[in-house]
Amino acid sequence: MQQRRILSEKQINSELLNGNLATPKWYFPVMGVLGIAVVIGFSTILYMFNRGLGVTGLARPVYWGLFITTFVFWVGISHAGIMISAILRLTQAEWRRPVTRAAELLTVFSLLTALFFPLMHAGRPWRIAYWLLPYDFARGIWPNVRSPLFWDPIAIGTYLTGSTLFLFVALIPDLAILRDRTTGIKKGVYTVLALGWRGNPRQWQLQVVAGILLSALMLPIFVSVHSIVSWDFAVTPAVEGWHSTIFAPYFVIGAVHSGVSAVVTMMCLMRWLWKWNNYIRPEHFDALARLLIVVATAWLGFTFLELIFSLYGRDAPEIALRELQIFTWPWNLIFITFLLTGYIIPVGCWLFKRCRNNIAVMFWTTILVNVGMWLERFLIIVPGLARKQIFVYTWEGYWPSPVEWIIMAWSFAWVSFLMLLFARFFPLVPLFEAKESQVFTTEMKVGRATVPMVIRE
Amino acid sequence: MEKEVIRRILISEVLNNQEEFNAATQNLVSTTKEDMGGKFKLVFGIFGALALLGLVSLIIKITQGFDDKSSWGYYSAIVSLLFGVFGTAPMVAIAPMIAKADWHRPISRIANMFTAAGLSSVIMVFPLIFALPPLVVGGYRRRSIWFDANIYTPHVFFGLAVVGLFLIGLGMLWVTSIPDLASVRDHSTGRRQRIAKVLSRGFIGTERQWISLRARIGMMSTFYFMFLIFVHILYSINFNLELVAGWKDAIYPMYHAMTGIQSGIATIMIAVYLIRKYYKLEDVIKIDQIWGLAKLMFAATIFWFYFFICAFMIFWYGKSAINEMTIKILVNGPYMWVFIGAFLLSFIVPWWIIIWNPVRTNPPMLVLVAVITLIGCVLDRIRLFVISWQVYGEDTIHLRYIPSEDIPDSMIMPTILDGTLFVGFISLGIFMFLLMSRLIPIVSIWEKHQSILLTKHIKFYRTEVYAVGKPD
Repeated sequence: MQQRRILSEKQINSELLNGNLATPKWYFPVMGVLGIAVVIGFSTILYMFNRGLGVTGLARPVYWGLFITTFVFWVGISHAGIMISAILRLTQAEWRRPVTRAAELLTVFSLLTALFFPLMHAGRPWRIAYWLLPYDFARGIWPNVRSPLFWDPIAIGTYLTGSTLFLFVALIPDLAILRDRTTGIKKGVYTVLALGWRGNPRQWQLQVVAGILLSALMLPIFVSVHSIVSWDFAVTPAVEGWHSTIFAPYFVIGAVHSGVSAVVTMMCLMRWLWKWNNYIRPEHFDALARLLIVVATAWLGFTFLELIFSLYGRDAPEIALRELQIFTWPWNLIFITFLLTGYIIPVGCWLFKRCRNNIAVMFWTTILVNVGMWLERFLIIVPGLARKQIFVYTWEGYWPSPVEWIIMAWSFAWVSFLMLLFARFFPLVPLFEAKESQVFTTEMKVGRATVPMVIRE
Repeated sequence: MEKEVIRRILISEVLNNQEEFNAATQNLVSTTKEDMGGKFKLVFGIFGALALLGLVSLIIKITQGFDDKSSWGYYSAIVSLLFGVFGTAPMVAIAPMIAKADWHRPISRIANMFTAAGLSSVIMVFPLIFALPPLVVGGYRRRSIWFDANIYTPHVFFGLAVVGLFLIGLGMLWVTSIPDLASVRDHSTGRRQRIAKVLSRGFIGTERQWISLRARIGMMSTFYFMFLIFVHILYSINFNLELVAGWKDAIYPMYHAMTGIQSGIATIMIAVYLIRKYYKLEDVIKIDQIWGLAKLMFAATIFWFYFFICAFMIFWYGKSAINEMTIKILVNGPYMWVFIGAFLLSFIVPWWIIIWNPVRTNPPMLVLVAVITLIGCVLDRIRLFVISWQVYGEDTIHLRYIPSEDIPDSMIMPTILDGTLFVGFISLGIFMFLLMSRLIPIVSIWEKHQSILLTKHIKFYRTEVYAVGKPD
């Protein structure tokens, strides 16, 4: 399966640093477009702060809409990093190497972006501090520490800190290479960031141990983050469709599905934009697609269980909600689109090796997955609130306003902008991993076949 | 130091010459020979006798009738345990194979052989199907995932699913054994050779046969895994959750499957230890396999907790009458001490022991962990199943939830018959396993050969390592 390429260290340095030591022609035009989108997005956010949440489509009873959907979506995407970097590192999957950095980076930037949404959703974000800190000792008004809404920022903050550390630790050897190949201010910055890295055995040993330790420590955080996000919904018995025991693992597996798909999308772009065909090869797409088939099927199983159990209780309001979600316009269109894009079309394609090895097919199918996963979150959050309930005196269909759509589009532009900005100064494919891969892989003849081999300690 | 020991052990596994290749064949084929000594026959006889006791107990149990549902609680707990202990054991072979791991090869046959032990759950399931109430109780439909289907739909489908799982398991065992049966055919005599000749279906190892075999193994393994999850889902819902009015727990089928896998890993750990010791296979089953199993067990204990807490959190925070009833039934009600025991022995104790690196490479310690986990699993099944059958009633089943005052104050204690069923059917499984080991080599010869072909001992700078081939 592995199409091994023999590459010299010099070649690896020059090819993987081609975006850092020189500027590709497409870079500034793309950054310009993304920059404009980011400025428009921030302006819209400021406009919303100035005018209040009335400019959004949010109104009782639908008080959680596009912002919270997009928040859950980006938290989900952030699960890519640990899935690819930590879990595959611990299981010694050799094919993980070229994609670890991109996955970790996606984790950090998507988490940063996710954090914006609850802040924006609060309407007056400067008052969010009251949510976390006691603001009136005299009257004994304290934040409710038993609420998942309180745990959320703590879990996400811990995850963000850990992921950033994880990214930085893996970046140190590459920073030293950049330090040795740059001059002036850049060299100064790289020198500070490289922390005196010389690549001696002790430093390597510490780096490897730190990587493994962080991988192991990040795993429980990785699971807890999306579990807590799911409990934001699931501990609320009042909203139909939310109070389900399966939500935590269902959210986690869905997050892995969308996160790994996002990494594949990024890999396609990296291969096309920087021409890293020697590093990001069809075998990597093949392996990730196989992983995605397993993850997607598990996710579908959880979706099925969630649906079955919502009907199992034979509670009329719950059945009415599912009828709304599945059979009523326009939710039925969203539901069908979600199933087609989240599972049926992509997994249907990935079953065939020809598709798994086709970069364009992988690009579009993984985009579809994330369309489906966004719709899934929308279907979980909005219909439950939109349906008439006994204590609701008004019930209206929710439709996001242009302000919300612009802010959602901004989030995609913002993440892309940050990624490209990072790629200008730091290598997106870890150089040391590429070199280690050269050393840790070999070939042998078994009969008439040449079999790729992986070295195990 | 520990790494160095592991490395040396791993390196010693690499046998890259033809003589050792042949020696491995002879050595492993010989595990099927009849002259294993009196000790084997004694063990075989004891388990056979206990299996007979189990079958007699089953007949007595059936004659006692199906009306008293609460008396079937321990019985259903035993069936659930058997699905875990024997039914999920083959997953230890299937999961690493799908992940293209190398370490599982010497123990994959042991794992697959437990499919034959699944006979015990098949036999036990059918009387239980008769004890299961129909979908219409007292003239009204009870809550069920079968909704408005024929009133005996769960009974029929579950029966078919269990038989299907057993047959697919046997098929998988047979398919994965074909090259070894060919080896037995070529290296043995008499009746064993004749049986091996029939079952090996003319396998001589042509390229075409190998390609076909690999495809069949992949398909059978996938089918087995899917059927296994299907059986766990059906059993946990139809024979457990649906019997308690108001218990609605979407994660529960997955919890049931996951804890089943945990008990399956524990079973394999004990089996591997005993087989390695008594068949003197230390050169074949090495620390790498023990280590791999330990890591799986570590993951399984964490999954136990995660799935438990996912459900518990929702019930605890929901605070509705339904949620409080569910907590009372599953956690702090009459089976509270059983729950505490299960929590300690399925999660806290094994997790705390196995977290330490030296333990994960220490076979006797891992057997201790496995035994603890299995006891924990027994307690877990008791707290889940016995109360479900205990609280079931034709009057209560249609309620939205069982009122607190209607939940029993005390637990049902097992009868002697429950004990003999437990011992008898566990013994039947072991008996079937031992019976299979007389025909099929206990360690997969062809996988061992593959391991020899695909591993190479190489010099790596100043140290020595081994390289593993990863063919497509």
